[in-house]
Amino acid sequence: MFKNYFKIAWRNLLKNKGYTAINIGGLALGMAVTLIIGLWINDELTYNSYYKQKDKIAQIFQSQTFNGQTGTGPAIPLPLEPALRDGFGDNFKELMMASWTTFSYMRHGEKNLSRSGNYMQPNAPDLLNLEILKGDKNGLEDINSIMISKSTADAFFGDTDPIGKVMKISNQYDLMVTAVYNDIPFNNAFNDTDFIIPWDHYVANQEWIKNSLDNWQNNSFQMFVQIADHTTFEKVTEAIIDIKKNSDEDVVQYNPRIFLFPMEDWHLRSSFEDGIQTGGRIRNVWLFGIIGAFVLILACINFMNLSTARSEKRAKEVGIRKSIGSQKGQLIYQFLSESFLVVLFAFAVAVGIVLLSLSGFNDLARKEIAFPWSNVTFWSIAFAFILFTALLAGSYPALYLSSFRPVDVLKGTFKAGRYAGLPRKILVVLQFTVSVAFIIGTFIVMQQIEHAKNRPIGYNREGLIQVPTFAQDFEDKTDLMRSEFKKSGAVVEMATSSSPTTRIWSNRSGFTWEGKPDGFQEDLAWTEVSSEYAKTLGLKIIEGRDFSRDYASDSLGVLINATAKKYLGMENPVGKLIKSTDEEDPDPPMKIIGVVEDMIAQSPYEPVKQGIYVYDRYNNFSYYNLRLNPKKSANENIAIIERVFKQHFPDIPFEYQFVDEEYGKKFAAEERVGSLAGIFTGLAILISCLGLFGLTSFVAEQRTKEIGVRKVLGATIFNVWNMLSKDFLKLVVISCFIAVPIAYYIMNGWLQEYPYRVILKWWIFAIAMLGAMGLTVLTVSFQAIRAARQNPVKSLRTE
Amino acid sequence: MITITDLKKNFRTEEVETLALNKVNLTVAENEFVAIMGPSGCGKSTLLNIIGMLDNPTEGSYNFAGHEVAGLKESQRTQLRKGNLGFVFQSFNLIDELTVYENVELPLIYLKMGKTERREKVMAVLERMKIAHRQRHFPQQLSGGQQQRVAISRAVVTEPKLILADEPTGNLDSKNGVEVMNLLTELNQEGTTIIMVTHSDRDSHYAHRVVNLFDGQIVTESQNRAVGAAI
Repeated sequence: MFKNYFKIAWRNLLKNKGYTAINIGGLALGMAVTLIIGLWINDELTYNSYYKQKDKIAQIFQSQTFNGQTGTGPAIPLPLEPALRDGFGDNFKELMMASWTTFSYMRHGEKNLSRSGNYMQPNAPDLLNLEILKGDKNGLEDINSIMISKSTADAFFGDTDPIGKVMKISNQYDLMVTAVYNDIPFNNAFNDTDFIIPWDHYVANQEWIKNSLDNWQNNSFQMFVQIADHTTFEKVTEAIIDIKKNSDEDVVQYNPRIFLFPMEDWHLRSSFEDGIQTGGRIRNVWLFGIIGAFVLILACINFMNLSTARSEKRAKEVGIRKSIGSQKGQLIYQFLSESFLVVLFAFAVAVGIVLLSLSGFNDLARKEIAFPWSNVTFWSIAFAFILFTALLAGSYPALYLSSFRPVDVLKGTFKAGRYAGLPRKILVVLQFTVSVAFIIGTFIVMQQIEHAKNRPIGYNREGLIQVPTFAQDFEDKTDLMRSEFKKSGAVVEMATSSSPTTRIWSNRSGFTWEGKPDGFQEDLAWTEVSSEYAKTLGLKIIEGRDFSRDYASDSLGVLINATAKKYLGMENPVGKLIKSTDEEDPDPPMKIIGVVEDMIAQSPYEPVKQGIYVYDRYNNFSYYNLRLNPKKSANENIAIIERVFKQHFPDIPFEYQFVDEEYGKKFAAEERVGSLAGIFTGLAILISCLGLFGLTSFVAEQRTKEIGVRKVLGATIFNVWNMLSKDFLKLVVISCFIAVPIAYYIMNGWLQEYPYRVILKWWIFAIAMLGAMGLTVLTVSFQAIRAARQNPVKSLRTE
Repeated sequence: MITITDLKKNFRTEEVETLALNKVNLTVAENEFVAIMGPSGCGKSTLLNIIGMLDNPTEGSYNFAGHEVAGLKESQRTQLRKGNLGFVFQSFNLIDELTVYENVELPLIYLKMGKTERREKVMAVLERMKIAHRQRHFPQQLSGGQQQRVAISRAVVTEPKLILADEPTGNLDSKNGVEVMNLLTELNQEGTTIIMVTHSDRDSHYAHRVVNLFDGQIVTESQNRAVGAAI
């Protein structure tokens, strides 16, 4: 029986090649979009699947409240470790302190590379599930050891055995390689951990860390845990939540809460707002999931509409089959198997489209998704997906076509009723509603990105580079390097800073100043800079003056930004003092010498944070900021800078970043969402137009005789075109009026997440509507004009 | 075989109600060959469709081989129709996408017959209808007469008790028309009951009995004395 169904389906497909192409092509596009989104969602949902104990691993997080605003993050103080080990040890299987992931210069022999890694406690291989390829799993026990990833080992040692070899780190420490571990796969946390150095080494060699061992207020470290088998994250959190509050009365005012942030949530649910977990990337998973589902529905609608539009052609067959004994159920089966066949072909084409576009998609989405050829689960889901799509697309036509009465169709009097086209019209309206809403949504996302990009950032980011200086070698050479660079002619000014221009690495509290309200809990972005920082960046001084080498007292000076002026409540801040509340602090108070314009260092969608720029007395800098000579090309400048750099630091790799590029990365996430949404919207519109095109051709065919008669009676081509296009245009106009309020509601909600946001203007909606109508007219016109141009004699004769 | 009593059929649209059949009484015995005649719109085809169980009467009773058909659901009618009834249409009504062989095979597939048995039956009937050499052709590749022979093959392949023919020669030239009528006569002589709607006086002479319909009512019934007189 099925053979017979497939045979007739196959012949039908061959017979109507244009229809088949539209049907399979449209469905294939829709399925390809759904498939690619499905692969992407799967990739997102399986993040961290490398970790076998995923459901038992967590990071320690902390929430603190400053002036009623609660901030949440992974930074914790050092004394938390002994407090957890001693007081709550049986809740944990593993507890591991770690530094932030940092770039370090690594050297062995002539090889000199910069790699990212962490300082971790010796149980890291257990907690991180490391697969030790060579050497000793307990290799981190020795304070002067280092574990390296396979890719790092390959880069430095090639085929020779790295175990026992000595590497120089930060051009300062000699560490012996004790183990090589397999790289952690891409789609997992810690996949950028190229090396691990013992935590004790970190503590032993950094004075500030030693000083922080009993300081509950210095939140500068990370801790990862694996909880004991007998307990849950919730129970442990409940036990430890007040541990910090109970340990240091000075922090009670910030209401610190210590809790476990499960590994399951790291990737998709990492956003916190005012202390409450609010989601994160999971929003994108939903967004694209919904887009994928809608695109598939659009493609299925095409199938339904084209199948039912052609019903008059299939009616005779239905009548004959019924008269010679076919049950309605059998006909439903037949039409469903036809749609299954079409969907199967479409799936094959969709797989082809996915294979062709996967690498481009990976680039765009920053993924390493491979087509899961050998994955049985994937194929099972794919089969279910094919069946589902076949049912979705085929059920309505199957029910519709199989319900024809043989008497009507065999007598040749069958004509679809007056309302037979109504479901088709509703489906077209649905299609265009979705498409128009997509267009508006994409428009607004792009506008918001553009809006944030055009926001004044407070300094001149063009022709500015930053060079990392993560080694002791740079200490006390700042003035020398500044004059060397300037002398070279490639640099017009240079300044150091403790964080990159596009980031804030440090926030501090514990200050007091004249007029500080009682109980005010300050939180200031903290950057240590050299004298020419504002000059190098082109940061405008709006009050007071810049640092000056002419005043020795400037080493105790600070610049504040405009937001800080308001935040500190100072009308005339210049000359005012900012003191430490710590009575044991040996440093004298800092004096405000000037106010600079706000510069965006964090999110371009957020207000600028109150910040102070402190004169760097202790060589705490991490970057050289270099203003390039505008009279030379960037390449020329960089080549000269590299030469000068190498003369003074021959053992350190020269690295640099253009600040404008770094700043541009702040838009990467939104731009990715924007471009993906743009592409999917384009495809959704293409699919909808494809359907409309097919539908118009059938309508034109159906009305051939009518068009002929009208032409004989004097209708012009324009009249006929108008008659055919008007019907469809009406539907699209209805769609627009449904789509606009829906899109407005959704996008307005989306924009609320950005404090710095574009204002929705009416013309965005107008353009989207006009665009949709224009596309409709174009799509419909091709067939309409073709039908209108036909010689009426011909069409009347064939009737 | 067929007993129709006080049969009525109404067609209702939004504006008008048409009485297509009005109190029709008709009996057809097994092995009979009945022709139904009458002007256009008199209800011939409606009657044939009801007899063929493609349609339900509005009122009255229709008994087919001991089963009351009036009021049956579509699925029940289909069950009863399967294998018992064969149709021959004026416009042949072959499925364009299927070959001659496949068209004839189709009713057997719906009867869930095995492949070998199907093959034997289809080939036997195609040979009998002298169309076997065209078995791989599609309907559009055949002449009208050939198409009607395929349609008859399809109607008889299940060896039905009753064949309903709706103007079987209406679309054929006279030579092919005669051939088709001879085939029907042959089948009737072998035991198949035939009810045929026709406009053609000549064709009606092949029947044992002619029923004349006018405005939905049987006005006359006449016996043909010499069957096949037109030959």
